[in-house]
Amino acid sequence: MFLHNLKYELISTIRFKDRLFWIILFPIILGAFFKAAFSGIYDNVETFSAMPVAVVGAENDQVLHSMLDSIENSDEPLLKVTYSDEDEALDALVREDILGIIYAGDKLSLTVGGSSIETTVLSSFVEQYNANAAIITQCAKNDPSSIPAVTQTLSEKLDTCREIPVTDGNTDYFTQYFYNLIAMVALYGSFCGIHITINSQANLSPLGARKCCSPTHKSVSMLAALVGNWLIQSLCMIISVTYVVFVLRVDMKEHLPLVYLAAILGGITGVSMGFFIGSLNRVKLPLKNAISMTSSMVLCFLSGLMIGDIKATINEKAPWFNKINPAAVISDSFYCLSIYDNYDKYIVKLATMVIISAIFVILGFAVSRRKKYASL
Amino acid sequence: MQVFKVFMKVLKSRMSAAFLYILIFMIIAIPQAKSSTTEKKFERVPLKIAVFDEDNTPESRKLTEFIAKDNKLISMSNDREELIDALYWMRLDYALIINKGYSENLLSDGTNELFGSYHVHDSYSVSYMSTALDQYVSSVRAYSQSGEDLDSAIAHTEDALSQDTEVHVAEAGKNGVNGQSSTFRAYFNYFSYIIISVIIYTVCPIILTMTRKDIRYRTNCSSIHPNAYTIQLFAGSTVLVLGVWLILIVAGIFATGGFYSGKQWLAVLNSFIYTLVSTSIALLITSFDPSENILNLTAQILGLGMSFLCGVFVPLSMLSDSVASVSKFLPAYWYIRCNSMICGNEIYDSGRLASFMLIQMLFAVVCSVLTMLIRRIKFGTSSEVAA
Repeated sequence: MFLHNLKYELISTIRFKDRLFWIILFPIILGAFFKAAFSGIYDNVETFSAMPVAVVGAENDQVLHSMLDSIENSDEPLLKVTYSDEDEALDALVREDILGIIYAGDKLSLTVGGSSIETTVLSSFVEQYNANAAIITQCAKNDPSSIPAVTQTLSEKLDTCREIPVTDGNTDYFTQYFYNLIAMVALYGSFCGIHITINSQANLSPLGARKCCSPTHKSVSMLAALVGNWLIQSLCMIISVTYVVFVLRVDMKEHLPLVYLAAILGGITGVSMGFFIGSLNRVKLPLKNAISMTSSMVLCFLSGLMIGDIKATINEKAPWFNKINPAAVISDSFYCLSIYDNYDKYIVKLATMVIISAIFVILGFAVSRRKKYASL
Repeated sequence: MQVFKVFMKVLKSRMSAAFLYILIFMIIAIPQAKSSTTEKKFERVPLKIAVFDEDNTPESRKLTEFIAKDNKLISMSNDREELIDALYWMRLDYALIINKGYSENLLSDGTNELFGSYHVHDSYSVSYMSTALDQYVSSVRAYSQSGEDLDSAIAHTEDALSQDTEVHVAEAGKNGVNGQSSTFRAYFNYFSYIIISVIIYTVCPIILTMTRKDIRYRTNCSSIHPNAYTIQLFAGSTVLVLGVWLILIVAGIFATGGFYSGKQWLAVLNSFIYTLVSTSIALLITSFDPSENILNLTAQILGLGMSFLCGVFVPLSMLSDSVASVSKFLPAYWYIRCNSMICGNEIYDSGRLASFMLIQMLFAVVCSVLTMLIRRIKFGTSSEVAA
């Protein structure tokens, strides 16, 4: 009887084309938007590049000119310098064409658009220039004959720091938006989950009324519906991941079978969540849909779908939440695969998904049990 | 007013869902707007640095104290996975190892590899710290060459590198630019995401219920004139849309920290125009009679898609030129451009501002014309078009 129910659940779910179409189409369209928005953005934003600055009043300052020239002509230039007058420079600063304006003088001063890490680096550069001038003056007082050696030392290029690589994985910060997109598709499986209960309860749908009249035990028919929806959602997840990896070419190929596994478990978590929402008593269908939609969205928002660093903020303030937020757990499973060289944390994430799904399913069955036709 | 009353009745039955959507979108937007700071004076952004002192000498401890002056020292274990997590999620900007033998090699010529560093992103913080460490070492050496002992060289280096440098923040009001706080800008930028999503989620299901085939046929054979029906439906939608807009504008007063004044009213006007555009888009969607699932899909794709492509979640300056060119075909782009101008991120020009608002209005007109056209094609007769 279970297999019979499962067969017809699969057929009826597949025939519910617009729901499937929606779950499949959603990552395709939104993923394409993400790809368009984020292509090359990591190189523009996170990786270091020469900072555009304007220099004002440096016409007669040969020392500053030659120093800036040497910085611009180095292998990894810190600055991209434009010499201009104050009004032009201010306009460029407002348009965000430049990060700051360096004013020449006895001591360099700086005008920036706001506080950021880039402007902090700029201020640090100006401070260092002024500090060097102060050091030379101080050393001249100590021992005037040491000036050539001091100047030589200050202008010498040092390389005091050796960079130690920590991971060979994909460190592109913007890839996490795609992880969260897949997590969102997984949680949208909750819309399928809602319909399991609706199609099983006589007061919610004609199909539910027919099912209630049938001799099949309710738990068997609901379990078959749940498994059927898990299978269909898994198919949707496979299509989504395939699209993200092979069409959008997001760097997730290295552990592809495990990526599929995590996505499928994520989809199962989403359907189970919907199963629980659908089983809530005295809640009308539009509100159930609204709860499903908004909870998926909020969980994905808190996992970083819209603002990438929100997950890190939550990790500082309430790390426990990231451990139980289904969207964060799903996206973290992809992160663990791409960044670590072992599977310990990945396995923990998979286990968390299984536990969350089990809790939703148990709660769903517990809430919807004993609802016979006569008692509704 | 029968149709209007029915509209309100349907709205009442969907009120809880509608409020849930408004609430959730506001929960998403307001904390983000609040997290944007209003900076009038420059403040160094302290880096989050973990220092692993393997040398553990007075000199290395002085260096650690010096780094801690302008930065935030994060205490954590030298565990690789913990470091990767912290660096990737930017809870840590830089992990510095002061190598054993630092104090012995500080003054020698062999200054290479006094330190080791862990980082994930080749970011500005990495460049900043590398330069700062090089500067520290060369300054100590310079003082030492002028005859000072190591302790005195370190003390003077710290003094020299701690000198205050004049750093100003450009005044937004200069050069004809009217500046607004970044909280205000962030809230009104997020407004575009909220309003289009909320309107599609709230207005569309009600219109779809009212124009369902069986109800439409029943209405058509009633004594209500089609024009009266359309006007009442329009009036109901207007009340709902204005209500949503008003809630968000009032919430904006609390979110941005004060009642609107001066050019801020232009942002309010801009938001009203964008609300009209969103309503026309919502009406266009309903003309296709979508199912609830398709409606959800459309709301998500339009809301999130336009937000990512038009500069709501990711600033326009970070997007590539090709993306920015495509974005020009979306109304949110022009809404954000208006906001940028009003908030001082672009040079303010009233003519250009008016033209950008006009472009948004054109989107509303085009969507309205398309809606009428589609309804005429789908339903044929004028009486059904009205429905």
